[in-house]
Amino acid sequence: MSTDPLKKRKTKVIRGDGGTPETKRIRGDADQAKFPPALPLVGQRKLYSGRKQDVRVYNEEVELEGRDTEQDYILYKSTCEAVAKLMAEIQDLKASGAKEGSMEVEERRRRGSVHFIALKKLNRMAHMRLKKARDQTHEAKQRVDVLHLQLQNLLYEVLHLQKEIGKCLEFRSQHEEIELVSVDEFFQEAPAEISRPHLTKEDPHQLTLARLDWELEQRKRLAEQYKSSLCTKEKILKGIEMKKEYLNSLQPGLQAIMQASLPVQEYLSMPFERVQKQAEVARHLPPPLYVLLVQASAYGQACDTNLSVSISGDVDEAKALSRPPEDSQDDESDSDAEEEQQNTKRRRATVGVQLDDKRKEMLKRHPLSLCIELNCKDGSILHLFFYYLMNLNILTVKVKVSASADLSGAISAGELLNPESLLNCLYASDHGQETPNPANRYQFDKVGIVSFADYVAELGHPYVWVQSLGGLHFSSDSPQVEGPHSSLSASHMESTMKLLRGRLQARLALHKQFSSLEHSIVPVSNECQHLFPAKVVSRLAHWTMMSYEEFVELSFVQHVMKAGLVRNTDLFFMATVERGTARLQAAVVLNPRYPEITPLFSLSLLWKGERSGRTDDNLRAMESEVNVFRSELQGPRPGLQLLTNQMQRLCVCLDVYLETESQVCDGSEGPREFPREKMCLRTARGPNRLKPFKYNHPQGFFSHR
Amino acid sequence: MNNNKSGCIFICVCFYFLKSYALTNRRLVLLHMSVFSQTFSPCGRFLAAGNNYGEIAVFSLSAALSPDATGMSQKPILTFAAHEGPVFSLISTDTHLLSAGNGEISAWSWAELTKRVSNEIVNQLSDNSLIVGGGDNNIHIMDMETGTFKSVLQGHKDYIHCLSFREREGELLSGGEDGAVRIWDARTGQTVHCIEVFKYEECTRPQFGKWIGCLTTDSDWMLCGGGPALSLWHLRSMSPTSVFSLAGCQREAVFYQDLILTVGEGPYVSHCVPGGTVKAQIPSSSPSLNTLTLNLNSNEHRVMTTAGSSDQIDVFTNFSYRAFSLSF
Repeated sequence: MSTDPLKKRKTKVIRGDGGTPETKRIRGDADQAKFPPALPLVGQRKLYSGRKQDVRVYNEEVELEGRDTEQDYILYKSTCEAVAKLMAEIQDLKASGAKEGSMEVEERRRRGSVHFIALKKLNRMAHMRLKKARDQTHEAKQRVDVLHLQLQNLLYEVLHLQKEIGKCLEFRSQHEEIELVSVDEFFQEAPAEISRPHLTKEDPHQLTLARLDWELEQRKRLAEQYKSSLCTKEKILKGIEMKKEYLNSLQPGLQAIMQASLPVQEYLSMPFERVQKQAEVARHLPPPLYVLLVQASAYGQACDTNLSVSISGDVDEAKALSRPPEDSQDDESDSDAEEEQQNTKRRRATVGVQLDDKRKEMLKRHPLSLCIELNCKDGSILHLFFYYLMNLNILTVKVKVSASADLSGAISAGELLNPESLLNCLYASDHGQETPNPANRYQFDKVGIVSFADYVAELGHPYVWVQSLGGLHFSSDSPQVEGPHSSLSASHMESTMKLLRGRLQARLALHKQFSSLEHSIVPVSNECQHLFPAKVVSRLAHWTMMSYEEFVELSFVQHVMKAGLVRNTDLFFMATVERGTARLQAAVVLNPRYPEITPLFSLSLLWKGERSGRTDDNLRAMESEVNVFRSELQGPRPGLQLLTNQMQRLCVCLDVYLETESQVCDGSEGPREFPREKMCLRTARGPNRLKPFKYNHPQGFFSHR
Repeated sequence: MNNNKSGCIFICVCFYFLKSYALTNRRLVLLHMSVFSQTFSPCGRFLAAGNNYGEIAVFSLSAALSPDATGMSQKPILTFAAHEGPVFSLISTDTHLLSAGNGEISAWSWAELTKRVSNEIVNQLSDNSLIVGGGDNNIHIMDMETGTFKSVLQGHKDYIHCLSFREREGELLSGGEDGAVRIWDARTGQTVHCIEVFKYEECTRPQFGKWIGCLTTDSDWMLCGGGPALSLWHLRSMSPTSVFSLAGCQREAVFYQDLILTVGEGPYVSHCVPGGTVKAQIPSSSPSLNTLTLNLNSNEHRVMTTAGSSDQIDVFTNFSYRAFSLSF
């Protein structure tokens, strides 16, 4: 009964859109499925399709929607069991010997076939379900994609908007740069129509606007005030101009009055004018010279009436030069610039000429100079001219002596009052050849000056004491130059002036002594008469000047040279003392600081062969007698007779030497050349048999020291 | 130079410091300085030297000879003014330094001198007496214990330059300005012999005079010189055995082993052999030399020192050359 529909259904399956009645019917089928499962169901369907083909199409898909997968699964299980059961029954039957095609077997085969059909359907439905599920998934995925894209767009928009907001927040308005009065002040000062407190108290925006308004208002007002001030200034300037003109018109009249009053001043001996003029000129002095002027005139007034100070030089030039006088350092750079200009003007000038110009510029003196005159008791005058080298910042001095007496007599005294060397070594080892300012060396390097000594003759000597008098102090540690100190100058003034005077006196005294020494007379003053016996036979024969080179050549002075007691700044003389056939040569080293430093004698005796202080112990003792015992020989202070006393003692010693020598030397033929006239206690003493050179005054005998 | 000699020896406990000279320039002083006498301390580590200004300087030999000696160690460790006139003689006893100046002798304690840092010839006898010869032409023998003069030897006609004592024979030799060498019996005080050196033709040098400047003895031999040439004498035969041909007048001579060392005029130390030849002349720094001493008191500081007309004292560690100079 079920075979036919099964076949039909196989051939006539038509798919189509499901309809409601179909679903109802399937539901009905489902209700029925509890019972002999698939058979009625299939049969019914086949029935429908066969009958109402044009109206409704059987739609398996629609049916599918109505079915539950769980139930289908149970159905599938039960069907499989049923098939298995039938198979087992068929087997049993066959085993029991049933024939092929017997009733029971056929019966069971039919039932098995129905079950297979049901299984097939289930399979189909499973496939369809799978497909459907796939479609659904795909659809859902597409939807999700669209939504995701939307989300991305929205996020981008948000970011953009945030950026825009940030830009807005960062915007700077120009008003922030305007300085405004503080809020409190604003509320106090601004009128109500501008400040509008009711509005602005709460709203900071309005407040700012109001403050800006107030600022504008104020500025307008100040601009007006400025204009009016300019006007008044103009007016005042005009007034001043007029008054100046008036004052200028007064000057000629006043000058005329001054001129007229001059004779009156002179008549009353009140040199207002002169003092005033000096003060006027002094204003243009460079600071060191000014210090020197002030200190020297102060010292002159207080302690030394024989000292006078004056200013000389071109005042106009100094005026032009000294805007403020302290700017001497700036001057240098200015003048350098000028020089540059000049140099560019004449390009053909060689490098040498340029250097020359630069050197000249560097060594330029200040147009004003100071002259100090020291008057001595005997009427001689020491003129000291002080110059200031602006670019080197040092003072130099030139000196001139005008003596009261005629000084042409002595030839050997030429060097004594030589302005070049007169003031050498006023203080120990101050030769005045090199600049005392350490900074100058670098300046010299720039323009190729090797040594300042080459310019000393022209510019004057930069002695250290001169710098001190001008208040300039150069410490050797730091090349930093301090400003001039009056106290430094004051502390040096007195001692230096005394030294200068002492130097002049010493030189004048030496000058006089030299002229008599040249005439072979050794002048011995009354105060020093007791140092020597009444009768001195040895006589000075020559007194001549020597140069350093000549002195160095002498063989008998080498030990003195070696002892470091000779400098080339010293003065050198050769004295020759004679008695009979004996001839004593004495090389004399005269330190510039004489009489503070004792002149040094070195001896050489020509008598029966040549002997010197090196080879003869007695001559050595004579040297010592003359050189060492200064305190005995210097005479009254300040010891101006030291040199002549030394000379005289040398003559006395030579007498003793010769007379005792002939005494000791027994066995000589004939009468003695030098009869013994001096009284000696003992003619020789000690291992080296020295002669008695010491003269004892009141008794008049000679003894050993 | 007077005859009233001080009768006792001053043991000086207090210290004399260098007087500040009225002389202005120390360098000038040094230039004209002469060193007359020198002696070594008993320990041999110190050298005392006296100059013409009456100063005595004490040098430390151990410092100057040490390997790390500097310029300062050649300067005196102590200088003091001892006498008015020159310091003509210095000798040292076991405890004291005796210095002879112009008419006085002073004694200085070595211990005191080194702790902190005339009579013309002085010599010493074994029985603790001091023999003094000098300007009054006489020789005085003084007892060091009591400070009194025991005897006076009279005979010289001029002042005495040098003395020498022969301990074994108890004989005393003296040489003087009068040109005589007298040999005295120290016990009796009588002249045993008198040699007038200038009368011997081989010795005499009339151009220099007849004075005897140096005298030294060694067993039977005597060395004397001065105006006459330096000569070696055999005392038993009283005759000159050899004469040395040295140019200047000699002021000090000593025997050292087989050698005769002598100094005098001229800037060198002469080495002679008893046969009569001059072996060598070693240059020194002074133009003429007054004194020569050998330091035999200490083995490690065995040196020879010479000094003369300069402020330098030459030190010879080896006889053949000058090692360095000490300086006042």
